[in-house]
Amino acid sequence: MNRRHLMTGAIAGLAASTLPAAAQAAGIPVGAIEILTGPAAAYGIAIKAGLELALDTINQKGILGGQKIALTVEDSAGDKNQAINAARKLIGRDKAVLIIGPTLSNEMFAVGPVTNERKVPTIGTSTTATGITEIGPYIFRTSLPESDVVPVTFKKAQARGVKTVALMYANDDAFSKSGFDVMKAAAEKLGLKILTIETFGSKDTDFSAQLTKVKGLKPDAVTISALVEPVSGVLLQARQLGFGKETLFIGGNGSNSPKLGDIAGAAADGMIVGSPWFIAKPDPLNTAFVAAFKAKYNKDPDQFAAQAYDCMFIAAAAIERAGAADSEKITAALAKTSYTGVMGPFAFTAGRDPASSEGVVVLEMKGGKFGIAS
Amino acid sequence: MLAQQLVNGVLLGATYALFALGFTLIFGVLRVINLVYGFYFSAGAFMALFLTRQYGWPIVAALPVAAAGAGVLAIALDWVLLTRLRRVGAPELASLMVTLGAVLALYAASTALLGPDIRRLPPDLIGAEAMVIAGVRITAAQVLILVATAVLVGGLIALMRGTRLGLALRAMAENPDAAGLMGIDTGRLAALVSFISGALAGAGGVLIGLNFNAIHPYMGEAMMLRGFVVIIVGGLGDIRGALIAGLLLGIVEVLTAGYVASGLKEAVAFAILVAVLWTRPVGLFGRAVVRRA
Amino acid sequence: MMAWWDDFFWTYQNLVYALGINGLLALSIYVVLAVGQLSLGQAAFMGLGAYSSTIMTVKFKLPFLLVLPASCVVPVVFALLIGGPTLRLSGVYLAIATIGLGEVLRAVYLNIDYFGGALGLSGIPERAGVGAIYGLLVVALLVLWLVGRSHIGRAMEAMRTDETAAEVMGINVPRYRLGALLASAVLAGLAGALSAHVSSFIGPNEYGFEPAVTILSYALLGGIGTPIAPVLGAWILTLLPEMLRGLADFRLVFNGLIIVIAVLFLPRGLLAFRLRRS
Repeated sequence: MNRRHLMTGAIAGLAASTLPAAAQAAGIPVGAIEILTGPAAAYGIAIKAGLELALDTINQKGILGGQKIALTVEDSAGDKNQAINAARKLIGRDKAVLIIGPTLSNEMFAVGPVTNERKVPTIGTSTTATGITEIGPYIFRTSLPESDVVPVTFKKAQARGVKTVALMYANDDAFSKSGFDVMKAAAEKLGLKILTIETFGSKDTDFSAQLTKVKGLKPDAVTISALVEPVSGVLLQARQLGFGKETLFIGGNGSNSPKLGDIAGAAADGMIVGSPWFIAKPDPLNTAFVAAFKAKYNKDPDQFAAQAYDCMFIAAAAIERAGAADSEKITAALAKTSYTGVMGPFAFTAGRDPASSEGVVVLEMKGGKFGIAS
Repeated sequence: MLAQQLVNGVLLGATYALFALGFTLIFGVLRVINLVYGFYFSAGAFMALFLTRQYGWPIVAALPVAAAGAGVLAIALDWVLLTRLRRVGAPELASLMVTLGAVLALYAASTALLGPDIRRLPPDLIGAEAMVIAGVRITAAQVLILVATAVLVGGLIALMRGTRLGLALRAMAENPDAAGLMGIDTGRLAALVSFISGALAGAGGVLIGLNFNAIHPYMGEAMMLRGFVVIIVGGLGDIRGALIAGLLLGIVEVLTAGYVASGLKEAVAFAILVAVLWTRPVGLFGRAVVRRA
Repeated sequence: MMAWWDDFFWTYQNLVYALGINGLLALSIYVVLAVGQLSLGQAAFMGLGAYSSTIMTVKFKLPFLLVLPASCVVPVVFALLIGGPTLRLSGVYLAIATIGLGEVLRAVYLNIDYFGGALGLSGIPERAGVGAIYGLLVVALLVLWLVGRSHIGRAMEAMRTDETAAEVMGINVPRYRLGALLASAVLAGLAGALSAHVSSFIGPNEYGFEPAVTILSYALLGGIGTPIAPVLGAWILTLLPEMLRGLADFRLVFNGLIIVIAVLFLPRGLLAFRLRRS
């Protein structure tokens, strides 16, 4: 292959890949960028399932006088560059009027400036880090930031008599780090005494040095901000090192996954976690959602699916109220959202974050399953 | 607390040494930095996972079978990847690159096949309850690692120093061409070394997977950096050096995390590596002459 | 038509930038391979360029014309630190030390709040563009092409094919190797600075082992016969996953296999047979 052929081939290939845009034009183009492959794929797949379940209902009736929403979900594989490419394709090629996602806060920090420059409203359903909506006036999120959830959990711990804490977190991913920042601030605000701060890596398997140190300090509670895999590892090793019932383990959003019980089993018992949503929440909307999800996908929905489900309805309602598939009008309409979904009543603050954290419940691990904490 | 931390350090160090044994053996005899080594480690752990989960084998049966399986895998991959290069006497960087490409492809393919999730061995495989000895807590899996490391290091040294086979291996390490002329079948010896190191890696994978209760395709890669530090600091090809360097690294890491700052744990390993490269590139215990450019 | 073209360019802008930047990265590993060495620290050098330039732009508000050349300084310092002891030894030492470099720098970025920790550094203004990226790529290609034709190039080739003979011929092998490693750090540092200034965000997990291997696969696909070959290798490996979506999942498998096949069967690179001067 010589150089010229290579370049012509490349350009022809690119041009060809822009063609399907015209064919897809039926319906209102909405894009989503989620992690569908790679190590964090579980989150993106849950979100996609939630979005598509909501879309079934929305497209049955149609919006803007019977039009359908044409949702294109692009895979970011958790990679910053792939996420940016996806955003550029969704906007430049598919002419998406609204973007949902991306999955991780780190990806949003890369994608947000691109979509914001094009004035396309972008709604994160799972981005909980600080500073997401400060990227620009077109960046929204429906996921409660950790700063709304963690204080609720900490107050519950304080009510149980916790006075001293040791803070542990995975320092190599944005989600865990910003969760820790929130925990530290909340502990300081509530007057809990921080005995030590210990870090580990998300892929570490040995936490014995940190745990032995923590144990020597005898804290009332140990908080862990990390994804579910390392949290399970910490708990399993903590039990081996002799942590018993006298120490309360407190998790962040990452611990809020049914996988915690699957992996850590009895070692996770007694851990408390704050959650914006709970599968057994006794609310007709929620029961209907859980039943429909089970019927369609043959498994239980998680928090990420629930958040995405609500987000799709919020987006559709905003397009309807905007009266046209126009990004600028949709952005204005989004800001005036007032919606009640499976997460509870929802509105945006002036800063485009969720306005209310009333829906937060504190869960406790018992026998490998989450229940409402007493 | 210091006693517990020292035990933690020795245990972590034993896992590093266990990982590095076969790695340094391959280099010592075949003069190859074989990066596929990390994959044998993952493969051994996955085989044990399969045997215990699927067929309910006890760990005493699954461990040797998984180790042997990893050894056979090592013979096969060594044959595919390296015989050609050995025959033409290619530079050691060529074999380093081949194994680098191969290990990346193998990790990625096995992730695509098996999924990236962390898997666990059956919980009742070995008692997770810790024993308390003089205030220090230690589990059965950890005792197993200490014993296995000691036995394997002792066995390897005895093999290399005390048997005819060891003599042939040392002759081959010294000069493969001369060894060939002296009637040593270097092809078969290379296969044997591959098998031993693959089996060591496989056994290490099972034991470490058992101890930390976390098995995933990339577990070998996670150990690789520590493996490099151990074999360089211990001296390339030096089995006793690998043991001492492994223990040293484990203890230093744990003490750093326990008494200085947990975030520095990883940087410490590398600081030691650079310091050794600058001051004593033959390794702390090396006597061999390092081939200079 | 203009509007279509604008949209088309906007859509693929990131890809166009990536082609140029990956071309520079391919050249950076080419320089090291050309003296018969192997570095797995090209991604780490790139990260150093990206972080140091971002800090100069965002925290010190320096102009990009100053930031871009200055972004080479830190990678070069680290290349000296790593290359100093290892280049006197056999090639495996450099390879191992450079793998370690990527890991330790990641730990540094993560643990020091000034570098943003796991959150990385965001809000980087878009200062680079097609002109800067492709201008530098063309300059680098020209310089390397000229060097390749000079007596330096012949010395490098002699070292690659038979280093003992090269020493006998009076070539100062360690000095050439160090020179090549420093040049490669400069190129990777520039690539890092450029990529940071077109993507608004950099994170600590982007410059590890896997990108280093990917960079190596660029050069091995293209071969190291001429400087243009690794650049073509980079372009193919950047474009393929974009055009064949299904391939994206197996990108790493593919890159790994390219390295194996190239070293075992096509030591001159997969493309080299068409590009070599006859």
